[in-house]
Amino acid sequence: MRLDGVGRRYGVRGPWVVRGVDLDLPQRALVRVEGANGSGKSTLLRLCAGIDRPTTGRIRGRPRTAYVPERFPPALPFTALGYLTHLGRVHGLRGPAAARAAGVWLERFGAAGHAGTPLSALSKGTSQKVAVAQALLAAPELLVLDEAWTGLDAAARGELDRAVAERVADGATVLFVDHDPRRLAGAADACHRIADGRLRPAPQPSDAADRPAEAGPRVTVHAEPPGAGGELPGELPGRPVTVREPDGTARLTVPAAYSDALLRALLTARPPWHIRTVAAPAGPRSESPAGGCGAVPDAGEPDGGTAALGAVPEGSAPRAATGPAPAGSASPAVTSPAGTEGGSR
Amino acid sequence: MIALLRYQTGLLLGSHRWLPPVLLYAGFLVVGVGAGSPVLDAFAFAAAALLPLTVWLTRVCVTNEPPAARSCVATAAGPARAHLAAVLTAALVALPPALAGTAFVALFSDPRSNDHRVAVDLLPATACGLAAAVVCLLLGTAVGAVCNRPVLHGTALPVCAGLLGCVVLVVPALSPASAVVRGLVAGSMSGTAAMPWLPLGAAIPLSAGLVAAVCHLAARRG
Repeated sequence: MRLDGVGRRYGVRGPWVVRGVDLDLPQRALVRVEGANGSGKSTLLRLCAGIDRPTTGRIRGRPRTAYVPERFPPALPFTALGYLTHLGRVHGLRGPAAARAAGVWLERFGAAGHAGTPLSALSKGTSQKVAVAQALLAAPELLVLDEAWTGLDAAARGELDRAVAERVADGATVLFVDHDPRRLAGAADACHRIADGRLRPAPQPSDAADRPAEAGPRVTVHAEPPGAGGELPGELPGRPVTVREPDGTARLTVPAAYSDALLRALLTARPPWHIRTVAAPAGPRSESPAGGCGAVPDAGEPDGGTAALGAVPEGSAPRAATGPAPAGSASPAVTSPAGTEGGSR
Repeated sequence: MIALLRYQTGLLLGSHRWLPPVLLYAGFLVVGVGAGSPVLDAFAFAAAALLPLTVWLTRVCVTNEPPAARSCVATAAGPARAHLAAVLTAALVALPPALAGTAFVALFSDPRSNDHRVAVDLLPATACGLAAAVVCLLLGTAVGAVCNRPVLHGTALPVCAGLLGCVVLVVPALSPASAVVRGLVAGSMSGTAAMPWLPLGAAIPLSAGLVAAVCHLAARRG
């Protein structure tokens, strides 16, 4: 999708909220937009989501899109599951598939117990989970998140990080705004800053691996190729920093949100790779992500599980590490391919 | 579109905001169409009473969703289609009361002319009454769509405009709704029921055009 010279103002004589925006949103990309309050971030996101039309310029090639608003209102006369099923159908799923997907996503965000609760009786956080589930349940090709993490509990924030990484790994584009600079730190493929209605590329720790303090929590996967000296599958999720060991194995370091997606890609590759260990990077690097986040009261979200994984002794029995390693708070979808992979070998 | 209509209908029925306009319509019928009133006059009254019902229901449907929920649906389906679904839901939900009102008139009124001298065939009269109801339903929905978001925002302006719209639909001879109502009243004088083909033929493109313009604007303004 491409934005060419897009501008938007409300009313004929209103001031320009955004102006002259040229933005490329390629597939398989995680794009962050920063900016102060009232700088036009939300307007830009609404333009990208197709809710607003640009006053000038044009937007081409918008794929199937889903949008998560910042605050989701509970004033709808549906139950959580009923609302999600309706929205699943609106997103193009068939009835039974919509209801199934609604149940799965409520479960993933830890709101399965509220499936039958009317939306008006949900807490703010739970209704935000419904808003997020609404956007994810039809696997959109463009996902627009307007501070979607606000109001979610730590576990749900981590789950949303992973769901975002999953969408990107599946080839979708994710466009997001969040006031927390550590949100998906080091995972974004592009970062833009909006100021005075203009969009400019923002400094982005692209070579994040060299500056772990800015890179956010990271996870290293030690994997063994299927045959001797097998090449890594192309286009691995999270653009891992790869180090090939002399024995042919590979150490892949990715932002923590991408760990599940990376494991899935390795385990479902043809032929599948064998996972030896999954760990937060050893040495001084592990200090900064784990320590940095641990110091903040509400953090520990994405790396809560992965920091614990650091305790898995490297070089211990590889088969044993495969089982418990991606587990913890990770989604069950990761453990199951691991199981089948282990069984097939 | 089916999914959108199901969603909007669930929203409307679950919110119970359909109840006041439907009760108003029922009240109009009970007060205005007593047992034994001339059948064509009663059909004219029942059709005219549909105008406030549909204008109000359309307002309810297009303002029922909180903005954030509307954004989610507009992203998935496109703002124009989302808006069209809301307007169509209003028309569809107004259909059962319109049919019930027509049936009520057919059952309880006197099948005679105004002065109770000339007998009126009930079947063609009911067909005329049904056609008049459809004309008023379509035009009322279209006027309701024009008088609300995204054309007019807020509460005071759309409500006043909707009331004015009802009056404008009934009073001048130009409006198809006024034409069917006058046609039925004139028929009641002579005791002949004439099918209102011309107003029906005018109402369909007119309301479709108005609703299409409003939905186009919904895509522009959000």
